Amino acid sequence: MSDRDAGWSALMRAANAGDGRAYARLLHSLTPVLRGIIRNRARDMPPDHHEDILQEVLMAIHAKRHTWNPSEPLSPWLYAVTRYKIIDAFRRRGRSEFLPIEDFADELAADEPIITATRDSAALLARLDPRAAGIVRAIHLQGESHATVSARHGMSEGALRVALHRALARLSQLARGGEGK
Amino acid sequence: MIDTSALIDRLAAEAPPVALRSGRMAALIAGTVALACALFLSIAGLRADLSTALAQAGVLPKTILPAALMLVALPLALATLRPGMHGPRLAWLFVPLAAAVILWGAAFLTMQPDQRFAEVTAIGMVECMGFILLLSAPPLAAALALFQQGAPLRPSLTGFLAGLSSASGAATGYSLFCTQDNPLFYLTWYGLATMLVGGIGAMTGKYWLRW
Repeated sequence: MSDRDAGWSALMRAANAGDGRAYARLLHSLTPVLRGIIRNRARDMPPDHHEDILQEVLMAIHAKRHTWNPSEPLSPWLYAVTRYKIIDAFRRRGRSEFLPIEDFADELAADEPIITATRDSAALLARLDPRAAGIVRAIHLQGESHATVSARHGMSEGALRVALHRALARLSQLARGGEGK
Repeated sequence: MIDTSALIDRLAAEAPPVALRSGRMAALIAGTVALACALFLSIAGLRADLSTALAQAGVLPKTILPAALMLVALPLALATLRPGMHGPRLAWLFVPLAAAVILWGAAFLTMQPDQRFAEVTAIGMVECMGFILLLSAPPLAAALALFQQGAPLRPSLTGFLAGLSSASGAATGYSLFCTQDNPLFYLTWYGLATMLVGGIGAMTGKYWLRW
């Protein structure tokens, strides 16, 4: 057992016996290691998902920490749990969503008539509520800045980003043929 | 999404967990098997000639083999609840399986062709499998409920082992009532019932034991 593992095991033993500070120290010192593992294994996923997965792993460690046998080293348990949750994250998000775009370069290069795309996006936008459609149109089709658009709608830039994000999510759902909420 | 550091502090503020007690789980599952079988035997009764029957080399395995399978499958199931632990190996399952196959082959070869399947009736088969399935249900439910406390990395495997443990325990108890002493009969139908419960356990475990 390495020194690091011995330290982790000791912290987890203390944590499971009720020492919250040892537990916080353990989780804080695990975080960079887990982040590295996730970055490595989830290379194909956009980096903004990595922190989500990290939190899922931390919550799994938390929920299942009583299944670790304190007479064994912690790291085999830890890596097994981490691996399980990374695979789980892939399964739940659908691996195909994260295939690198280069794989589809040929299909994308095929001359899709631009006119169809424009008509389609107009049809999809018409199905959003008018304010959300206005935001998407202003930012993505007319290229206005976030500041201008947020001022016009009387909302903060943060709120605008949230509204935009939701509108785009809804659009992609509509584009895939879903009805959504 | 909340900040990871804040998440950690929130998790660390929670109460410590209750330890996973494998021994207690094993006792509860074995106890459920014993209770279901005792209830069944108190109604149906032991076979009248139990002591003389168990003295026969061809009949004893009817009780011993399922008991051995349970002794193998239950510790295996419990070991799968702890990630990254070096538990007993799955290969142990082949010991009772190989014994059953050898016994089946030996019985087939030593019996007269017209004797082999003479007593095999649809009613006998339904009775045998039906009772084993029925007696397996309470321990399987108990095992699956208890195993949610664990962290199985292969939930369907854990469910399968839970099914094997329950069905083999049920078959051990049922064998004290059953008067079908032809190994070709009891190995086939006990075996099938056990695999069926294993399959039910695997399918249930796949969803129920996921975490």
